[in-house]
Parts: sequence; C-alpha cells; structure tokens
Amino acid sequence: MKGTHRVIIQTKRLRYDFELRRNITIIRGDSATGKTTLIDMIQEYVNNPSGSPVELTCDKACHVLTGTLWREQLSAMQDAIVFIDEGNEFVKSKDFSKEIQVTDNYYVIVSREGLPTLPYSVDEIYGIRTSGKYGTLKQYYHEFYRIYRDNTLAKTVKPETVIIEDSNSGYQFFDSVCSDYDLKCISAGGKSNVFHHLNF
Amino acid sequence: MLNIFYGDMSDAVYNTASYFKYDYEDEWIVDSFVKKMILDVDHSTVLDSGVIDSPVLGKIPPLALSGGVKTLILVKFNTTKVFNASTRGDNCAKWLLKIAEKEDRTINLRHLMDFGDEPFMIHILNTNQTVHSMAELIPIAGEFV
Repeated sequence: MKGTHRVIIQTKRLRYDFELRRNITIIRGDSATGKTTLIDMIQEYVNNPSGSPVELTCDKACHVLTGTLWREQLSAMQDAIVFIDEGNEFVKSKDFSKEIQVTDNYYVIVSREGLPTLPYSVDEIYGIRTSGKYGTLKQYYHEFYRIYRDNTLAKTVKPETVIIEDSNSGYQFFDSVCSDYDLKCISAGGKSNVFHHLNF
Repeated sequence: MLNIFYGDMSDAVYNTASYFKYDYEDEWIVDSFVKKMILDVDHSTVLDSGVIDSPVLGKIPPLALSGGVKTLILVKFNTTKVFNASTRGDNCAKWLLKIAEKEDRTINLRHLMDFGDEPFMIHILNTNQTVHSMAELIPIAGEFV
C-alpha cells in the first residue's frame, strides 16, 4: 500500500477523521483522549458486518490486531489498515517487526513506549484531541495532531555535536556536512544508543 | 515514596486494562480520592459504583474508564502487583505522586513520563538512586527505556 488514506469513523456521539501517510503511525498522549475508544469502534464495526451503529469510511479495509494469536490474524490481513491498541506486548518483539515488513498493510499503533525494532518516522507520531462538537450534531469531533511539530523546540538550536543513528552511508553523509561547519559528528551505532551518547 | 523500575520488567502486569476488568471492586470506584481522579483525568462524574457520567460517552460503567484511570486505581488499591504505568499519559503523573505521598508504591515505566516542574521524590530501582526533578530523572531513566 502506498500514499495517503483517509479514515472517518463515527457514531451518534463520536467522530474521528484523520489521514495516514506512512506505513507506521504511532498514537500516544494523555489518558482519556479517546485512543482506546477509536480502536473499540473499529473492532465493533469489523465484528458486526451485518449491522453496526458505527460507520466507517475508508478506501481500505480496517482491522484490529490483538492477543497472542496475532501472527495467525495478520496472515489474513492484506492491503489493509491494521490498528493495535496498547497492552499488546507483541508490538515490541522482533518477530512482529519482521512479519510486518513483508506485508503491504498500514499500521496504527497505540503505544507510549519506544519501539526500536520498528522503522517509524518522528513525523508520524500523533496525539488525539477533541476539537468540539461536529456541526450541529451531538457528536464530539476527534482529530490527530502531530506531537513533534516544527515549533517543538522553543529556542534556536546551536549544535556542538551531531549524533547520527546510522553508522554507514548516513553517517558518512552527515560527517561530511558537519566537517564543513566545524561540527563534531559521531555515530550512535543504532537508534537505541542515541540516548546513551547524549549523557556523555 | 514512589519507586519506579524503568524498562522491561518480567513480573509486572503489562495489560492493566485487562487486569482491571476482573480485579476492580465497587468500593474502589466510590472512594473519594478515586472520584477526584476520575473527574480530573476523565472529566467524568461518579454517580455510583456502577455508573459514571462521561461528557463524551454518556453514562458508562467502570470498565469504560480510560486506561490511565484504571491503572491509577489498581496502583492505589492492589498493592500485591507491580503495574505497567506506561498505559497512563502525563496527565496521570501528579496522581501517581499523590497515591505514593503517604505509602510506598512500586510501578514499572517503559517511557519517560513527565512528572512536571514541581519538586518530587522518586526512587529509581534500576540504579537505587532518589531523584527530585525531571532534570535529575531523565539522564538516569533514559538509559533504560
């Protein structure tokens, strides 16, 4: 699957409307913002195809992946958007990382934990906010907001050292750029090691 | 004091919402401290032990509370287990500190929860160090999550 896919899911009381741009999207943020409710609504829609008060509009099939039989469930999901709620330990596993990289699904994962085995972008980490009632209906409208925005840094950053996750071509590129500006450039040797380098 | 083990902890309860489902007791929901937590975090009012008034979802049972509040309630009342507190957002941090004000509590965190700008006392079990601010906490805890 490629490109941007819009998902609208609603009931009488709630409406979620968001776009997915990459194959892995992470949702985190404060408690009680509606993360689990979103997953529950999708599960409700999928489990009751003959009639559900939940309306789902999307150009791709949506599924919820959960529990210890995730691998078997995943094998039946193709060209789909797969939602995973927090509390599912398998998302941290190398097996899960390996499995999803050979699928053509998009994944929406609710988790505050770092997931070093998964290749996701900092730009695709979102929170959910309620932006008021939708139109004149008694319906609360929920949207995604990017947690790490361009203005996340309050002050101008003047780096002394640039830490590169990569140790090969990515590092060589940035090392060359940094040398033009007399900046020190070091490789962390993997993203799990970046924090350790910040401490020294 | 609040004791925190950062990173993977094999004997911690990972899926706290599922644990809450079969562990919570009616008296916990109507406890005055819990009512305040539910009002603050979920913006919802406890009507009785089985009914909570949510501004978004309407009248809901305790099982429909947020994952964050469920975990806070477990930490307050079930002292026999260590719970994965990464199922809570930063808006639950102050309540964790309040629960552990007078009694010791141990939790497991797998991310850097923001405990705010006010001074606090947290014991990091991984290194056996006590910290009093996020500036002290982050360099230590960040190594484990």
